[in-house]
Amino acid sequence: MCISLHAQTNVGLVVPAVDSTFSAKLTGEYFYENKQYIGQQYFNDTWAQSDILLSTGEMINNVSLKYNGFFDEVIWLNNSNYGKFKLDKSYIQEFWLKNEQSPTIHFKKINVSEPDNDHRPDIFVEIGVEDKISLYIQRKISVVETQTMYKNDAYRNFEVIEATPVYYIRLPSNRYLKINRVRRRTFLKLFPEKKKAIAKVIRVNDLDISVESDFVKLIELMNKEIF
Amino acid sequence: MTIIFSRKILSTLALQLIMLFCCTISAKTSCREIAYLHTDRTNYIAGESIYYKLYVLDADTRKCSEISKVGYVLLRAANSRSFLKIRVKIDSGMASGSILLPDTLTSGVYQLVAFTSAMRNFNEQGFYYQEIVIANRFDKELKFKFVNPNSTDSNLTKLHNILPAIKTDKTVYGLREKVIASLENTASKANVAVSVYEEPPVLSNAKTIAGTMKVAPVAPDNKQVLIYHSPENKGKILKGRVIDVVTKKYISEKVVLLSCNDTVPNLQYAVTNSDGRFQMLLSNYYDGKELFLTIKDVPANQQLKIETEDEFAQNQPWKPSLISSSVDFRDFIVKSQDLVYINKSYQLNNDTVDKPLLVSKPICPRFYHCVGTIILPSDFVSLDDFPEIVVEILPQVKITRDKGKPSIKVYNSLIKMFNENSPAIFLDGVFVDDVKKIIELGSEQIKKIEVLEVEREFGDLAFSGVISIITKSNEIMNTMPAPHSLRLRNDIINAGGKLVAINSNQIQNKNLPIFKQLLYWNPNLELNGNNITNIEFFTSDYAAKYIIKIEGVSDDGTPLSSSSSIQVNNQTNVTDK
Repeated sequence: MCISLHAQTNVGLVVPAVDSTFSAKLTGEYFYENKQYIGQQYFNDTWAQSDILLSTGEMINNVSLKYNGFFDEVIWLNNSNYGKFKLDKSYIQEFWLKNEQSPTIHFKKINVSEPDNDHRPDIFVEIGVEDKISLYIQRKISVVETQTMYKNDAYRNFEVIEATPVYYIRLPSNRYLKINRVRRRTFLKLFPEKKKAIAKVIRVNDLDISVESDFVKLIELMNKEIF
Repeated sequence: MTIIFSRKILSTLALQLIMLFCCTISAKTSCREIAYLHTDRTNYIAGESIYYKLYVLDADTRKCSEISKVGYVLLRAANSRSFLKIRVKIDSGMASGSILLPDTLTSGVYQLVAFTSAMRNFNEQGFYYQEIVIANRFDKELKFKFVNPNSTDSNLTKLHNILPAIKTDKTVYGLREKVIASLENTASKANVAVSVYEEPPVLSNAKTIAGTMKVAPVAPDNKQVLIYHSPENKGKILKGRVIDVVTKKYISEKVVLLSCNDTVPNLQYAVTNSDGRFQMLLSNYYDGKELFLTIKDVPANQQLKIETEDEFAQNQPWKPSLISSSVDFRDFIVKSQDLVYINKSYQLNNDTVDKPLLVSKPICPRFYHCVGTIILPSDFVSLDDFPEIVVEILPQVKITRDKGKPSIKVYNSLIKMFNENSPAIFLDGVFVDDVKKIIELGSEQIKKIEVLEVEREFGDLAFSGVISIITKSNEIMNTMPAPHSLRLRNDIINAGGKLVAINSNQIQNKNLPIFKQLLYWNPNLELNGNNITNIEFFTSDYAAKYIIKIEGVSDDGTPLSSSSSIQVNNQTNVTDK
């Protein structure tokens, strides 16, 4: 429970302010977890103490969250009843997964619909770089194959799921470029006018952009040196 | 599962509340506030407006308080009965607005009381009190008695030459002439209210801001067992208790639900503590709305009811300090009545220039943020009542009857069976705990039905699905609240800085009579440190002696109180001698 330390003096009787009781309430539906998969459907294996920025602008701190990359949903562990709930997507704007060992991971909800094209639903993405050129990483988990296994006295089909991140680059014009697999040649083709400059940055800094950390570094350098 | 949830929820929430109300952690800041109310005048005729500026100051630093965001002003008569209750929005320790006095008020001495919720933690004597005289427009006998000015610091003559210094371009003015007054401020940046009004024959006993600041909040004596009043630093807090009607005991661990009439289901809840108390933050979404409060899951053998706290309640009775009336004062009141009569006849109210009030967009505490199955009964043949609608067009809902008592269940598509527990039912946005309220509604009344089939979570409350019904003619307003429910109207915030002055167009219109006892009222005048600020206003067709009175506070907590006077003679364009 979050008790604000902004306490007030009441003539000898000291009582804390009750800010936490007035905070916005999370809304969602009960999450029935389908365990007929081989692999992990969550981006974070353990519940992370997280902060949520709601679409109303209100902030909720220190709630236990997991990001489910298979359904692209945020799952909340309600510590008062230990129920797992799929939070209403339209109510969440951003969230921060905090971990003691690793840096905080910042997710936000974006819509990558192209103008004049079919409307796509909102998706949660991890913020890689946010600048003139932004890089967002959708921590997607997909079915890669189906395996038949003998379990509970019967042969059953199990879907194998694994992380298949999708990268979205937001251009200064607010257009999104979607990249499923990062390759040097295909990436350079996306920026025909800056191709040489980008290639130089990759060469000088000795980057292997098929490695995610190098790709993030490249976008940072592109913002600094090219755009 | 929901029952297990509920038990766990209640025990956890109870623990939280016990911690909230009982735990003692060291205080980092104190909340001791002082209220000061500056009014444009101290004598009014019923039907006129009182223009006010409320200051809420930190008792320790004397600067404008940043804590309370809600202030309360009430007007009460000599029998201590409250006539007008005003809630104001405080921004950086200040608020301004106007109170329209009803035409029906009887002549007499009234008291204005100003305070904040945080000030209730101290003795009520620390509230701001000011006596004013109100005369009924049609009362020619004026048998009431009026207040003797007994406050020494109120003596306006003593206010001369106190900051900011007031200098006018002349001392004697003609009718409809422009007055330029320069205010010289040697203190740091300040915000003041300026009033120019006819000097009454009897001085008021209103305190100055400096005089008010001298009085520190007093701790209540030990005999008084006070409950803690949370500072309303985010908005109004609705406080109440749940009581057992039979045993008269206050009931703990009860979930109190609040919703209001809207096109979307909305909910807020609180859990009662060991004293049966609960409190809810009322955001601006609830301003001026009908509030529907109810207790969740009341056992059939219990008779519970909700009692809400009157945020304006005054424990201290008031008796005005009366003396017999004087002829001068009576004449002054009669003259004021005549002027109001003229202004009413010509429909000349005080000319006000509204400043736009910055109000944040209200946020609806929606019960869910997703879309369910939507059914429009108008798309189908007309059906007489809700059970018929359920049978014909709502396959995901069923109505069962136990000893004649109807209950509703929603089909859960995930577990492929009907939920055992009842869903949350909303009628016109309001949570209803009695199926009977919707059972008679047919296609003629219902505009839209929305059903959410899965188990829903709202904060720590779990519900087995949702049914939301929107009717064509707001049927919820025609329903009678259950004994354990309560319906009350939330007041509207009295706000908006108002500049009152005669404008140049009125001055040029020679056919328009302008008789004003209040020439100028500016509740928000910014004074820069070591600088001169000019104010301009016009005199009216009414010759009298006028007081220019300034009250305010500087950024460093210095009180600013000063006054000056001008004479308006019954001739046009008098040259200063």
